[in-house]
Amino acid sequence: MVSVSETMELLEEDEMFSDESEDESSELSDNALQEAFAKGLLKPGMNLRVEKPKTFVNNVQGMKQCLSDLRKDLPWVERLDLTNPPVEDVLAKVGGGMQGANNGEVNADDDFQREMFFYRQAQASVLEALPLLSKHGIATKRPDDYFAEMAKSDQHMQKIRKMLISKQAIMEKSEKAKKLREQRKFGKKVQIEVIQKRQKEKKAMMSAVKNYQRGMTDKLDFLEGDQKAPGRDTSRSSKKTSMNKKGPNAKRKYKDQKFGFGGKKSGKKWNTKESHNDVSSFRAKVANAKGPKGKKKGKERKQNKRPGKSVRRKMKARS
Amino acid sequence: MSALKRKRGGRLPGVKKAKKAKHVAEGGESPADNQQEKKDEINVPPPPVSMGKWINKERVLIFSSRGINFRTRHLMQDLRNLMPHSKADTKMDRKDKLFVINEVCEIKNCNKCLFFEAKKKQDLYMWISNSPHGPSAKFLVQNIHTLAELKMTGNCLKGSRPLLSFDPTFDKEAHFALLKELFIQTFSTPRYHPKSQPFVDHIITFTIADNRIWFRNYQIIEEDAALVEIGPRFVLNLIKIFQGSFGGPTLYENTLFKSPNMHRRELRLAAAARVRERQMVKESLKEKRAQVKPEVISDVTDIVFDTPAPEKPVIIETEAPEPKEKKKSRKPFKRNRMQMRRR
Repeated sequence: MVSVSETMELLEEDEMFSDESEDESSELSDNALQEAFAKGLLKPGMNLRVEKPKTFVNNVQGMKQCLSDLRKDLPWVERLDLTNPPVEDVLAKVGGGMQGANNGEVNADDDFQREMFFYRQAQASVLEALPLLSKHGIATKRPDDYFAEMAKSDQHMQKIRKMLISKQAIMEKSEKAKKLREQRKFGKKVQIEVIQKRQKEKKAMMSAVKNYQRGMTDKLDFLEGDQKAPGRDTSRSSKKTSMNKKGPNAKRKYKDQKFGFGGKKSGKKWNTKESHNDVSSFRAKVANAKGPKGKKKGKERKQNKRPGKSVRRKMKARS
Repeated sequence: MSALKRKRGGRLPGVKKAKKAKHVAEGGESPADNQQEKKDEINVPPPPVSMGKWINKERVLIFSSRGINFRTRHLMQDLRNLMPHSKADTKMDRKDKLFVINEVCEIKNCNKCLFFEAKKKQDLYMWISNSPHGPSAKFLVQNIHTLAELKMTGNCLKGSRPLLSFDPTFDKEAHFALLKELFIQTFSTPRYHPKSQPFVDHIITFTIADNRIWFRNYQIIEEDAALVEIGPRFVLNLIKIFQGSFGGPTLYENTLFKSPNMHRRELRLAAAARVRERQMVKESLKEKRAQVKPEVISDVTDIVFDTPAPEKPVIIETEAPEPKEKKKSRKPFKRNRMQMRRR
């Protein structure tokens, strides 16, 4: 056993010793250590393992030799290899060329940029290779009647196509749903407005009818209120309204008055002070009229100041 | 060997069509061949036009060890699919040493080999080697996507010859140049191979990024270089290059390579370190709190600086105060809030 009498500094150990100690520590048996000490390879004191700094092999010469051995003298047509940088990225240039430093290096973490880099590299190769291929007489497009087995089966391609279509359909559906939602919101607003408008109109109409029934207004304009718009043809409307007025109005008026709602029906004629003093039905023209002009007998020229019963009845009906 | 496999009386479909295409390309030979055809029609089927032109006798053996998962198996199948000059073999037992592979290659008459090795059912290593004497390289394979993935929408002829495209970085270093040569010889389909199609309709790219080699396979759709990815795709992380096939002195070691075990170990250590640090912080806090703190001696004359507040008159309220008008919360409903936030 190695006696630990004094501590030694690490630096005093030689590289060789450290190697040896590494080798021996792989066995790490007391016997081996004893032997090493006897031989003089291990000095007394604290022996620590020092790790050799790891050197990486890079045998450039050997590799070049290997490469020359490996190389076969085949024309390009057999190998079809190309080495080229990618095509210029138009979008990056337009965007101000912010990846100026990264032109040669591609950032492996940015997925999209990386894949676009590979794509452009492939594109550059294809553009370079096509004229060369045509020179050697190799076609890149197969004719339409050339049916051969493909790397992916037709079934698989069908699946792919279905998936793409379904993706598109989903997007369209979501777009439609969004639009519908917007429309519904808008439609709801419009609906509310229309209902409110209708309610307002109804209220106005009811109040106008009530006013008329109570006798506050004698115009029936509110009935045509909806029809008469500001810019309308007034002559046409006036004809219509006059027709409306004359038509059922007098009879209707009487009937409404007699059988309709609101107001007293009986007890309208009373011999009161007011009715006695009421001279509204006095027609001065009629009262002071001198009878019809013409050669009539003096005796017959009786002033018919008060018409007869039937005429009076007719007048009553008309008013 | 392939001549023996050829059918009598009929032709392999790919080869038959190949003849037609070749006619277009080499017009001078067709009349002679036609005559020959007429003569030998009864007895012997005439050999295809490309007979005798297949000089690049490259064969690749693609196989794996035991313990691979489905993704690796599919990747292998895809590579065999893409490379008509490839051969398959049964899985190799892991207890055999690697130089046994050389013998397998010799038996199968292959001069290149792609060997997939799976360790711990997690890590996949790929060996690529030139069989009898040549160099070999070991890679760690990551980010495998196979042909069957639905995102890869391209398609190519089975056995069509690929264009190979390399990064200019491959020419700058010696080890990359060696790898480039290996890739070219392995992946390019020989011209006039019996199982190959005469068209070139896909391109395989090898790019170096982040000290790894990225493999992509694209289909050429248009002559103006419109491409669609066919797949498969994977990333190779170089570990070592050996002078011999599956052995021999090391020519190159990748300095930036970190074995997956080390990577996982580092992650675990980092997590452990974080937990330990949190514990230590807690303990130190506890200690601080438990410490006997020095008493703060207050000065008696500090009262000089005290200014008490003026006395307020005492108001006793006999009636309850009026209720405050509670403002109705103007907070909009959840849906409105979400929409506003989105806006």
